[in-house]
Amino acid sequence: MIRDTIVRGGSIASAVLLVLLAPLASSSQDRQIVRVIAERFTFTPSRITVKRGTTVEFRLRSEDTNHGFHIVGSDARVIIPKRGRGEATVVFVAEAPGRYTFECSKMCGAGHGFMRGLITVE
Amino acid sequence: MRTLLALSIALLLANPLAAQPSNPPPTDPQDPQKPPVETRIEELERRIEELESKSAEQPASQTGPISGYMDFHLNRPEHEDAQLDFHRFVLLFNHSFTDRLRFVGELEIEHGFVSGLEASGEVALEQAYLDFRLKPEFNLRAGMLLAPVGIINERHEPPTFYGVERPFVDTFIIPTTWFDAGAGVYGTVGNGWQYRAYLMAPLDATKITAEEGLHETSQKGFLSNVRNIAQTARLEYVGFPGLSLGTSFWQGKTGFNFRRGESSVGVTEVDGRYHTGSFGVRGEYAHVFIEGSEDLNDLLQRTTGVNPNIARQMRGFYVEPSLRPLPRLKYDLAAFVRYENFDTQFKMPEGVLPLKQFDRTAWVFGGSYYPDPDVVLKIDYTIVRNQSSLFGSADSLNIGLGWWF
Repeated sequence: MIRDTIVRGGSIASAVLLVLLAPLASSSQDRQIVRVIAERFTFTPSRITVKRGTTVEFRLRSEDTNHGFHIVGSDARVIIPKRGRGEATVVFVAEAPGRYTFECSKMCGAGHGFMRGLITVE
Repeated sequence: MRTLLALSIALLLANPLAAQPSNPPPTDPQDPQKPPVETRIEELERRIEELESKSAEQPASQTGPISGYMDFHLNRPEHEDAQLDFHRFVLLFNHSFTDRLRFVGELEIEHGFVSGLEASGEVALEQAYLDFRLKPEFNLRAGMLLAPVGIINERHEPPTFYGVERPFVDTFIIPTTWFDAGAGVYGTVGNGWQYRAYLMAPLDATKITAEEGLHETSQKGFLSNVRNIAQTARLEYVGFPGLSLGTSFWQGKTGFNFRRGESSVGVTEVDGRYHTGSFGVRGEYAHVFIEGSEDLNDLLQRTTGVNPNIARQMRGFYVEPSLRPLPRLKYDLAAFVRYENFDTQFKMPEGVLPLKQFDRTAWVFGGSYYPDPDVVLKIDYTIVRNQSSLFGSADSLNIGLGWWF
């Protein structure tokens, strides 16, 4: 009887603890949506500043041809559809402060090399 | 106990969505305690679509290191036979040695056929450089470079400009495609400012003409004489969606083919492009200063027996409003009109009269149809007039097919 009471009490405590802890874990995940327009040979905006710990969801749209979006040194790499064909999404978790360069990763013309931008994580 | 565990799991599953820190999903108005199942389903559907679209897009990233564009024209000048011209066949190559070190090349065949000793097309290595990518604000580049002057020289893929042929200003005043050997720096500063500054092989003064201005003056990396190095730079603002403002200059001594005498060419230029919704407009102004043009005329006359009538200053500008009535559709249409004014005899050396037939204006009316954003069918009618009462000008009908891949 006493054992059952202890087990039952423990289960209730566990359930309450799990329910209380779950919101804490979720609230630490700030998600910020950043819309970027790609057009030969620029990204707009090309400078983006976010807080450390933010999960950045880039929504990428092209005004002309296919472009690539690659955050150098990370796995974040996606092809941006051509004009009128929707947007691409890529998620970047700003774990550590610093400067992260992003660039067009698909040859898009003579000025392709100029197509770069910078994410600053504060 | 099983009931309690089931309750725990149910609460745990239900809680994360309700507990999101920003933009919490709406709850069911009928039952505020009920988990927002529809919202969760919508969120899951959106994420599945994202994953599907990403996986569908991956093949596009596998297109390899070769890209290119082509330009196929039908030109029908007034009172002349029509001509079919495979004007440009261009392949671009790129290779990344590392994230910081990259090669880009652009090889072009013009007019479809090349042979020796006859008037024919040409093979040109328009770009072949190494990029040393240090940081966004400062990078190095060396090799065969495009001069960073004007709108068209660095942006000449057929779907990017209206009209079958490039603007006259970007042909005679700015000698597009203007490329030569050189080295320099480039980068972005602040939000939307871009710059490049290069040292490049200078233009060749002996190739300046009264009619075509600077059109053929680039040494094109063919044993380019660099007794004096030219300087060129461009500054652009691209920080506002749809807007691009730019200014550029070129300065270099050009008289290396003469033992005595010296001349130099300076080019200053401003340009702008803007589009919003279905409306777009672009414009450019370029001014050329030729120092020593008097000596240049004298020296060339001694060499060829004819005074080339090279001007002291040339200038040109154009304005081009356009309309895309079906913005953001897969199949796009555009209409445009371009007014150009270009004078390769704008100011002459003392004692030399300008040839008024080279003070010209052009109206170009046309349209483009894009079955794909990278494929364009163009048509235009070009009206050229000049200030001479003796020399006429020919209008022309032009049809072009261009594509980028």
